[in-house]
Amino acid sequence: MSLAGSGPRFPTREPVDFVVVGSGSAGGVLARELATNGHDVVLLEQGPWRDPSEFVHDELDVLFHQSMTSGQPDRDPQTHRYTASEEAQVRGFPPPAFYARTVGGSSVHYSANYWRFRPVDFDERSRLGAIEGTGFADWPISYEELEPYYTRVDWEIGVSGAPGPADAPRSKPFPCPPMPVKSSGALLDKGARALGMTTQNAPVAILSQPHNGRSPCIHCGFCIGFGCEVGAKSSTLVGMIPEAVASGRCEVRTESMVVRLDTDARGRVSEVVYLDRDGNEQAQRARAVVLAANGAETPRLLLASASPRFPDGLANDSGLVGKYLMYNGHSASYGLFDEPLNEYKSIQCTRLSLDYYDADPKRGFYGGGGIDARPLLNSFPIFFALQGLPPDTPQWGAEYKRRLARYFTRNMAVLGNTTSLALESNNVTLDPKIKDIWGRPAIRATYNDHADDMSFKAFMRDRGEDILEAAGATEIWSDPVKPETIGAHLLGTCRMGNDPATSVVDRYHRSHQVPNLFICDGSSFVTSGRGQPTMTIQALAFRAADHLRAFASRNEI
Amino acid sequence: MGSFLSTRRDFLRRFGGTAALAAGWPAIAAAGQAAAAARADDADFVYLDAALARDLAAIAERILPADDLPGANDAGVIYFLDQALGSFAKDSHSALTDGVDELNAAIDAAGGIALRFSDLPADEQDRILGGIDTTPFFGQVRFLTLAGMFAMPAYGGNRDHQGWALLGFPHQHAWAPPFGYYDAQARAGAPDRDDDQGLDPHKAASHGENQ
Repeated sequence: MSLAGSGPRFPTREPVDFVVVGSGSAGGVLARELATNGHDVVLLEQGPWRDPSEFVHDELDVLFHQSMTSGQPDRDPQTHRYTASEEAQVRGFPPPAFYARTVGGSSVHYSANYWRFRPVDFDERSRLGAIEGTGFADWPISYEELEPYYTRVDWEIGVSGAPGPADAPRSKPFPCPPMPVKSSGALLDKGARALGMTTQNAPVAILSQPHNGRSPCIHCGFCIGFGCEVGAKSSTLVGMIPEAVASGRCEVRTESMVVRLDTDARGRVSEVVYLDRDGNEQAQRARAVVLAANGAETPRLLLASASPRFPDGLANDSGLVGKYLMYNGHSASYGLFDEPLNEYKSIQCTRLSLDYYDADPKRGFYGGGGIDARPLLNSFPIFFALQGLPPDTPQWGAEYKRRLARYFTRNMAVLGNTTSLALESNNVTLDPKIKDIWGRPAIRATYNDHADDMSFKAFMRDRGEDILEAAGATEIWSDPVKPETIGAHLLGTCRMGNDPATSVVDRYHRSHQVPNLFICDGSSFVTSGRGQPTMTIQALAFRAADHLRAFASRNEI
Repeated sequence: MGSFLSTRRDFLRRFGGTAALAAGWPAIAAAGQAAAAARADDADFVYLDAALARDLAAIAERILPADDLPGANDAGVIYFLDQALGSFAKDSHSALTDGVDELNAAIDAAGGIALRFSDLPADEQDRILGGIDTTPFFGQVRFLTLAGMFAMPAYGGNRDHQGWALLGFPHQHAWAPPFGYYDAQARAGAPDRDDDQGLDPHKAASHGENQ
């Protein structure tokens, strides 16, 4: 049964309580929380409504033709440059702001690693002191304040897992037991334990058993980049938005691409302007607007909403809209083993080690992260054939083919997931030259890792190689440590804080400058965490929704 | 298609195989003429002409040659290319045509006799491709060959899932543990250890407890 087209219809010229822009990890939660608590909501989504039954294992279409994702060069090009002194170049596959355009947003195509942040992620600046030349700062909220909402994510979104040895305190158990361990996980355990490290189950928003009326994972192996055809992946498409629609108070308006926010004489947002599926401009009036369009599209919208009253973009008194973009860092090492692992089965990660979570000043550089074991995209046949073999081996011919046949089932990756320091020089701006097919200035990402980010990635690459060797790999190779260019995690570009001079939204996600504008998605982050942001994006969304409801009830929106 | 299908052509500049080719020419020419005489010209391609298809198929077969396991031609990769160059890779059609023309012109210039790439014996084909395997042209043909071998059969290649069979990737959409050798070994070795609870979710009684 498809939900597309069901639910109420609100007239555009009468203000609804809330317009939520973006139906992804944050927007889906916000729409559900607001609508099921009695508020009228229009949820605007630029992509179509794809029912889970429409998701197929079509690697060519999904990964190479980017049928569900952003940044096709001939449609909505995005540009990237490392520093402001360079001319930005269009980058197609993958683009600098890589996200899914579909109801449910990137929660549809993510791999669903759901690590909570730890207390240190919120007050690390106080613990470690300033890092010169960076925007390293504390959050205005603490782990304790967010913990009840992490628990709501566990239970209401649907997370499988088991606590690890140094996890932050939790008020309630996981709702579902951990997913069964894959060979990559077993080998991570073997290698890490031989090195004296601890390992734990990977928490994932994928169901190991029936939960909330949804059925469990069938281990098909097509999580990363793909939609889940059985709805076992806990996307907002299957977990939140159906409940929002069922409340009778949420209209999901699909193929509606927001182009700007208009303000009234008082400086409040009066309407959200969007292009409908036929390319016609429409405008939905609202009492309050919640931006949850992701850490690239949210600042793009604010910057594109510049007006005589807001010459630098909406909500941008601080000048920080779009700044402090954080991608998270990654290192990847690969190992070949004698026997088949068959990593093409089941989810990406089943085991991980968080022994290097905390920054250690003795290393001489800042950085922390987690290590997991997984196939990455090498579980997909075309991708593996293109670039899955070690770089110094034949790339065509008889020997190449023999290696494809041997390596496909016998390789795995150890991934380092790491911090990114907040830098003003890493940001999203509007490209002055390149436009998309609708005439909008393209997203321009300016991004280059801090020297400490690079040092810590190299440190984690070495740990990955050590683990693979200790696990018995017969051949080990690594990706070169390079600055990040793939923005699948889009964080920090409208950071939250108590001081309007140094942040874009307050601790309740309200714009410091525009009182009926709220911003809640990856852009709210102050620090990057250790590489798995979605759990925290959704905890923030549950918390923000509570405050929005309270504001609405007091007539403060 | 981004970086996988560049349309730049600097193919001929980087063609490095002509001198080696000329040295063994008489034998190659004889073999090639025999092959040309034997071929059939009635392949039913939609977007490719038969001669271009034959040369592209020959390159694809050298990228993934048949041995004890199926190669590109066994899996019908050329039919994938035919479909691709009429649809999503349409923009690459002329670049590939030009690339093949230049390849054949270089072969003719080296041997002084009109032959196509597909007329040459396999070892000579390999030598020629070894001289151009860093060109955008080769990169495009390689991408399309691999996509044709390993994409869903609905796109025209990967006939009878032979590409997936080559990798050991079964055409099956649901699995259950054990998934591979090492998780099976771990389950057999330590089924009841607390810290291995994830190995069997049904024994994970403590999954919800704080530890």
